[in-house]
Formats: sequence, C-alpha cells, structure tokens
Amino acid sequence: MKLDFFVNDEAVSLETEPQRRLLDLLREDLGLTGTKEGCSEGECGACTVLLDGKAVHSCLTLAAQLQGRHVTTIEGLEKNGELDILQRCFVEEIAIQCGFCTTGMIMSAKALLLQNPNPTPKEIRTALSGNICRCSGYVQIVNAVSRAASEMGGGV
Amino acid sequence: MRLVGVSHPIQDARGKATGRARYAADMSLPHMTHVAMVFSTIPHGYVTAVDGSEALAVEGVYGVFHCFNTPEYCFNRYRSQYSQTLPLEEPVFAKRVRFVGDRVAAVAARDMETARRAAALVKVTYEELPCALTFEEALEGVNCLEGEEAVKDEFTVEVGEPPRADGLVEVTACTELGRLHHAAMEPHVCVADYDSDLDELTLYSPNQSVHGVRTVVADMLEMPYNRVRVVKTTMGGSFGSKQEWTVEPVAAAVARRLRRPVKLVYDRAEVMRSIVCRGPMRAEMTMRFHKDGLLASVELELLSDAGAYIANSADYARTLVGKMFRCYRIPYGRAHIRLVSSNTPVSGSFRGWSSPEVALMLEHGMEKAARALDMDPVQLRLKNVLLPGDTDPKSGVPIEEIRTRECLLRGAERFRWAERRREDAAFNASNDRFRRGTAVACAGHGNTYYPRYNDFASAEMRMCEDGSVQVEVSIHDHGCGTGAAFQMIVAEALELPLDKVRLKEADTAHTPFDFGCYASRGIFVVGRAAQLCARSLREEILKAAAHKLETTPDRLYFEGPAVRSEDDPAVSLSYQEVAWYSLGTLCRELTAQAKHTVDSNPGVTGTHFAQVEVDTWTGLTRVLDYLAVHDVGQSINPEMCAAQIQGAAQMGCGAALREEIEISPKGQGTCSLSKYHLMNAADLPLIQVELIQDGRSQDGPYGAKSVGEVSFAPAAPAAAAAVNQALGSDLGRIPMTPDRILEYIAKEGC
Ligand code: FES
Ligand code: FES
Repeated sequence: MKLDFFVNDEAVSLETEPQRRLLDLLREDLGLTGTKEGCSEGECGACTVLLDGKAVHSCLTLAAQLQGRHVTTIEGLEKNGELDILQRCFVEEIAIQCGFCTTGMIMSAKALLLQNPNPTPKEIRTALSGNICRCSGYVQIVNAVSRAASEMGGGV
Repeated sequence: MRLVGVSHPIQDARGKATGRARYAADMSLPHMTHVAMVFSTIPHGYVTAVDGSEALAVEGVYGVFHCFNTPEYCFNRYRSQYSQTLPLEEPVFAKRVRFVGDRVAAVAARDMETARRAAALVKVTYEELPCALTFEEALEGVNCLEGEEAVKDEFTVEVGEPPRADGLVEVTACTELGRLHHAAMEPHVCVADYDSDLDELTLYSPNQSVHGVRTVVADMLEMPYNRVRVVKTTMGGSFGSKQEWTVEPVAAAVARRLRRPVKLVYDRAEVMRSIVCRGPMRAEMTMRFHKDGLLASVELELLSDAGAYIANSADYARTLVGKMFRCYRIPYGRAHIRLVSSNTPVSGSFRGWSSPEVALMLEHGMEKAARALDMDPVQLRLKNVLLPGDTDPKSGVPIEEIRTRECLLRGAERFRWAERRREDAAFNASNDRFRRGTAVACAGHGNTYYPRYNDFASAEMRMCEDGSVQVEVSIHDHGCGTGAAFQMIVAEALELPLDKVRLKEADTAHTPFDFGCYASRGIFVVGRAAQLCARSLREEILKAAAHKLETTPDRLYFEGPAVRSEDDPAVSLSYQEVAWYSLGTLCRELTAQAKHTVDSNPGVTGTHFAQVEVDTWTGLTRVLDYLAVHDVGQSINPEMCAAQIQGAAQMGCGAALREEIEISPKGQGTCSLSKYHLMNAADLPLIQVELIQDGRSQDGPYGAKSVGEVSFAPAAPAAAAAVNQALGSDLGRIPMTPDRILEYIAKEGC
C-alpha cells in the first residue's frame, strides 16, 4: 500500500505492506530507533508513541491504521536542541537507569499531561502502569512527571 | 568531598531521554544481514532432519544454518575466564536438543521481518527422547542416556564444630523457589562484523564481560584473541542475564560463515524461552537456637535444577554455601547439595548470585524461629547479626565494618515496627476478608569473588593537552550509572570538574584486561583501580609541575584544577599549563597506570521491611508499604543507589508474590509478559530507602561497598515473610501466587 502519514510533524510517504507494525516502520524504514521493542505484545510499553496525541503501542499498531494520521516519537520532543520539559525532568530527577523503558515512559507521560496537566502521584502511577521499568521502583519516574507537570504550570 | 556522595544524573541520561543512546539493536552496518532463530519445540530428542528449502525460497533469504551444514561449534556459556576448564557442553546448533528453546537453526536474510518469516518456514524433524521436567523426574534420571548420571554434582561443606544438641530449639524451614525471568527490558542482541580480508571479528553486544566473550568466541572459532574484538554496548539492563554468552557465539559463527555483518536480536518470547532463567531450588533448612535466641547451627539440604545445561549451576551452588555466612553469626554450618539437570530452560546468573536464594531459606527459618522462641523478629536478628570485627567463618576474610544492627534499629524505628505490628493485629481482628502482615528480612553479600578466586583490576589514564582526562577501564555499565560513578571517583581524586573526565566502556581493543562487571566488583574492585590510577596521575602532574617551577613535588599541592606552591602564593599552574610543559619540554605525555589486587571482601548487608495485605477471597496480595535500609559504606552517587535499591524491592516483591516461569507438561515455559507478571508503578507503594554510610570499607574507593546485588537479597524474603505474618502461615513455596495462597487457606483456614 502507499502510506501517507506524519511523523513528528513531517509528511512521510512510504510503500509498505498494510500489516507491518508501526514499530518496524519507525525503526527500520525511518531510522527512528529511539522507540524500543521490549515485548512485542503490548505488555511493556517500551514502544509507546503518540498517535494523534494519544499513547499507543507501536508494536500493536499496523501500517493500515496510519493513513493521514500524526505520529509523535521521542525524537519529536526535543525542539531546536532543547529538551522537552519531561525529558529534562527525567534526566534531572535521576529517573533514568538503563534507559530502555525511558523513551516509552516519557511518551506515556506526555500523553498523560496532554490530557491531565495536573496529575496526582496516584494518577501518574495509574497512567504509567502499562510501562514496565525493571531497574527502578518507579519513584524517581513519578517525581519527574510531577515536576514536569508543575514546571509546565498545569498547561502543556 | 565535592562530587562523591552528591547525586548526579548518569553519564548517558541525556542520550537515553532523547532516544539517541545507541543500543546494539539500534546499530546498522553496511551490507548487514539479519538473523532469526529456529528453536526446538520438544524438550528432549535428536534433530533428524532440517528442511530449509521453503525458507530459502523466500526472496531476500541468504542462508539457513543448522547442525547438518555447519561445523560443530561448541562452547560453555558460563566461561568468562581463559583459565576455566569447563566442558564445551553447548553447541551453537544442537543435534541433541535438551529443552524447548534449544537452538536448532538460524536464518539469515536482508531484513529482520524477512528472516523471521522465513524462520517460521523451516521444518525440523525430531526423534523424541524421554524428558525430565520436574525434580522427581530429573532425580530418577528419566532423561539420562547411557553413561549419564542423574545427579550431576553433589557435595557437602561443613564450617565450624557441631553444637551439643541438648536444650536447643530446632526449626526446619522448607523453601521451594520457582524459575525467575530476569526481565531486563532490553532483549538479548549481538551485532557481529567479520572482516574476511583481515580475518578480524568484531562483536558488539550488551554483555558483562568483553574479555569473557572473547575467550569463548575466539576459542570456539579457533581465532587468535587479538583478532576478536568485543565491544560492550549500552545495556538495557541485565540482572545477570547478560553474564553468560548465548547470542554472541551464534552471531559470530554466522558472520564468519557469511563473511558479512550480522545482527541477531531476540524478542521477549525467545529471551524467556531460550536464554536463561534462575532455576528452581528445593531447600530444607534446619536451624538450632539456644533458648535466648542465639543461633547455634544451620544445616541446609538443597536440591537445585540446572536446567538443560549445567552452565554456572555447580558454581552457583558452591557460592550459595559461602553466602550463608554473610549476615549472621553461624557457629556451625553444614550444607549438602545435589544438582540435577532437567529438560527445561537453562539456569544461570541472577542478580545476587545465590545471596537472595539463601536469604529466602535463612529468613524463612528465622521467621519460624521467632515464632518457636516467641521472640520479636527484629530482636531475634539483633541477637545474631554479624558485628564489626567479625570474620567470615567460611572464607576467613574479615567482615570489617558492618552495620546490619544499625539497619535493623533504624528501620524498626522508621517503619514503626512494633506499632505497625499492633495495628496489623487490630486490623486483622476486625476484618474477615483482608489480612495484613509486616515483616523484616536481612541479607548479606560480597563485593568481589575474592577469596574464591584471585581478583584484580587495572586502569589507565592520560591527560590531554587542555588538562582534561581520558580514562581507560573495562567497565560494563548495566544501566545503573557505573560510568557516572567512575567519572565522579576520578574527578574527585583529580579535583577536576566532572565533564573534564571522559571514559568509554569496555572494548577489548582499547581497555585493559578485566574479568567483567559481575560479583558486585564494579565499584569495589575496578573503581578502586581507577581511584589509585587517578592518584598516580596526580603524582605525575606534581612531578612535571615541580620541574617547571624548579622545586620539589612535596612543596606543591592541588587546589581546584590547579597546582599551587607552599612557598609562593602567587603560583597557580593550570593542568593545561602542566600538560603543555610536560609534552613540550619534558617530551612526556602525562599518563598513569594502576593495578589493584584484591585482598579483602567486607560484609555488606541490607535490611528490608515490608507490609503486605492479602485478600483472602481472591488470594491477591498488595504491598502497602516498604522500607529498605542499606549498609553501603560511602555511597558514590546516592540517588542512583536509592533508585537501584528501589528497583531491587520491585524485583523482590515480584519474585516473592507473582513472578514465575512455569513449565507445561510438554516442556514449554512461560514466554510472555502477559503471563509473567512484573510489578508496575501502580502495583507498588512509594518505596523508601535509607543509606547508612559510616560502615566504610577499607579498600573500596572512598570506603564504598557494593549495592546492586545485595539490595535484591533481602527483598523477596521480606515480602514473603509479610504474607506469612498476615496469614499466620508457613508458606515456603515461592512465589506466593494467589492460587497457592487460596490453596493454603482452603486447607488451613486463616
Ligand atoms: S514492545 Fe510494544 S508494548 Fe512492549
Ligand atoms: S531504566 Fe531500565 S527498565 Fe527502566
């Protein structure tokens, strides 16, 4: 199929099979390797990206679902060499260890803050419950998201 | 101290936040092929035929490799030192398959999706053999061929003199541990690049020992060691799963055969099925106490299942006996251990290397003893913990400073131990559905494998023309910021800003020989070498500066990144000036080399407190509150220490309450995260951590001790004991899944 969609606000045109996974389109075809594959079945959240502003598992999203839609990956967050507030807060709050969950975690947090700019720690934990971090106990991750929310002043 | 003891983000945090950090699976080399594996679908048997014709017919497939068309390459996944004489028990492509998940064939194709599609078309024919999936079957030897023994290893270790039996209170704790999946978020991967003109092989992988991989792969392919380069890539977690070599030998063999770069990436199901797990153990621990609660003896009867290959299991069991003596004063200890091999996933290194396992056994016994002696569990432990100045009775090595006592006291206070236990009792009395329990567990570990084996590490440093420093050490950061910790250690010693110190990770072509980052030796051993090396670079700087100033080094001192003189307050030489002078006038680069040979291994322990609620209707458990207090010596990067400890609590709660690879009657192990339940953010409370930092080691850099592995050791025991406390039960089957809890309640009530 001919697929026309947007990745990080850029128009992308691809010739591809409809059943290919968004994850492979990003990583293999577009070289956007910031999105990670941890389980291939929607269980770990490492592959999370935004589809029209909502968090989705790119391992479960197929090319056929993408026509005309907007995908945001971790590579789309940094603007002009400046980290997104969430990225900066993850770094500064020491919420990053091995980093394999980090990009998916940040994208889930991004989706949360788009919907709920002032989440409580409990709401953050619930929103991130589809993202597994094996290295931490989620404490610094929750702190990073809380701090990002307050630095954004409740608006994204 | 300026840097050590102050929290810093890890060295590559920014790259990990932007997605630019490059993991091996993100690499791409010109002309690279992708490899997908075909795994055995039966637990035991012979491969009689492999038909790759359909796979080969797929466009873009370059080859199908298996035991009938590939040299019989064999290796030992656990070998990490050239001197280890271990049997080459594991072939790259098995002819006799020993478990569901054993490697049968590999398909190389132009991209990963094609390789995987083609791999599914490979037809394998088997002749099945009887299989052993349980301890009983393995002990009977149902899977043994002629000449093979059911018990692969058996030994007894005794330490101390047996006590006189009279007047002692005896408890026996039966503990059975299920199979654990490490669940490092990054699946296993290797990129192998073979240059056929130079006959040089380069392997990129997230591994815990580049020199270990080199030893195994070079010997297997009969290549000179200096023609095999192994580069450690950014690692998305290991927890021991990347301490043994499973993907590297395969990628190397295929790359050499195809004479081009290959990338081999496993997916989660393949990692769970084929790579490595922590195998099951069945333990009976008999502990005897004097009436006042003083421990008299510990006797362990242990049966351990290595899985399909022996790999590290014989060593793991021996280490376990040593770990028995790292937390409590045990006047007499005895362990009788038997090892069997079933047709199930291979057991291997797991975070803590048997400290967590023996802690589950010991702490289960301690809980029973507290009840039998009618003593408070904290008081019972206070009576028995190792104290400063004690000696490890098994290894004979001094325990040095140890702070388990302080951990217990501080933790009991902060966790409101006595009060909370009373609150639990009141809650349980007034509630017929939910039960709460609060428990404590202690556990000890080491900082190196010394004195079981000799241990040493080296470091090299050079100062650049601008006064910045480049460090060569073979570190293997698992993701917990070893790189940042080393930068801090070196920058502290050289009085430099952090960004003036740069180091890359282990690469056999550039960094000094090292055994690898395991056994908790990263900071304690390799970090010490880096600190010593920085000190000798300081001397070199002073010598060069003294020459320039026509004085002697002892009249000079460091202040900030500058050399000052005792005799003339106006003198201030920047490192850059000294470096230039040394290069231009002395014709000498400012370099240093240091070696640290280990001759100590102090006690390092942690004490965890957990409060767990059990739903007696569903068997579900919930961790309500958690506190970990750790005796870490000087912490290098405190927030990272805390984050690692919290990760250990997450892993330990999972291990105690739900994580298990189960084996079906056909030998298939759990191979999906939808069935292997990891703790997520909503499952856990805010895990509290407290570091006790005055029990410093003599030889660790700035007094540091280990943390990554020891933090996991008390975690599962604390969570498990909390369930038993809640139910008044004596469950020893770990994990305590809802089914097991309900089964217990149905039988015993609660
Ligand atoms: S890889 Fe998509 S959720 Fe795990
Ligand atoms: S940082 Fe390693 S999985 Fe989250």
